[in-house]
Amino acid sequence: MSEDQVKENQPTENLPEEEPVEEQIETVEAPVEETVEPAPEVPEAEVVDEEADEEVEVAETGPEETLLLPRDTLLSAGIHIGTRMKTLDMEPFIYRVRPDGLFVLDVKKTDDRIRTTAKFLSRYEPSKVAIAATRLYAHEPVKMFCKLTGATPLIGRFIPGQLSNPQYKNRVDPEVIVVCDPRADAQAVKEASTVGIPIVALCSTDNEFAGVDLVIPTNNKGRRALAVIFWLIARQVLRERGEIGPDKDPPVTIEDFEAKVTREEEEDT
Amino acid sequence: MSEKLSLVTCTSCGKPIPPGSESTKFLCPNCGEIQIKRDGKCRKFGRLYKCPKCGFQGP
Repeated sequence: MSEDQVKENQPTENLPEEEPVEEQIETVEAPVEETVEPAPEVPEAEVVDEEADEEVEVAETGPEETLLLPRDTLLSAGIHIGTRMKTLDMEPFIYRVRPDGLFVLDVKKTDDRIRTTAKFLSRYEPSKVAIAATRLYAHEPVKMFCKLTGATPLIGRFIPGQLSNPQYKNRVDPEVIVVCDPRADAQAVKEASTVGIPIVALCSTDNEFAGVDLVIPTNNKGRRALAVIFWLIARQVLRERGEIGPDKDPPVTIEDFEAKVTREEEEDT
Repeated sequence: MSEKLSLVTCTSCGKPIPPGSESTKFLCPNCGEIQIKRDGKCRKFGRLYKCPKCGFQGP
């Protein structure tokens, strides 16, 4: 019995010796995987302000990379600036986290999505594209966008029933809708879902994909960022339609798209 | 006499889309050749869809 007990005990005694080996392997492998992900080693300017008009963040540049606008212009407009909150939906579009906790979006992915969105919108009749903008800073860019492309603006408070109530006299009947912020324009998203039209949304790092069919990852709060994004989409839509040449710019500038700051607001800041 | 009704299937989950749901359909934003169909649930939960032709992944 005592010998049997010894034999039975042998494997159990060996087990604890094997386990640490596996653990060691795992612990060795883990850091190797982590080293793939990390952020670039290039230093960058640290600015907490979300709008970040003056900020120019230096990032990796590939020689083959072609963006719609020079990288510096996009970065100085702050289209890559997210928020301090991150959703799981937006994780694939996030480039890195700053030491101050601000999530930064990938400019290349934003650029790709702008091209895709322009292709998508150009397939629809101009008057059948609606743009909803509840945010104050999005009013002017959306007005200019609609003026250029012939889309229908839904600016300011979104009246419930504007899409879904057939008895409402000011009802619009678009085939696709673009919203500036799925959270701020929640009513528009809800009604567009009800009527079954595709929804394109400008999403920052704190937005979710609920109800959205196509996302443009960008800063949807900054004054300059919204102007740049809408100008770029408008230009791409016109190019896709063939209304301007593939290398031409529309007659209006980004500054025309930018919301004007009143003297009172300037004094406050 | 009896004809089978064929319901369109959701591109995200592959399930048939019941009529009257908050579904949508649109051409693939990237290639514009394949029609993407999404049912109400997949839209609500933000489930991913993939174009079978060009591989574009949305939303």
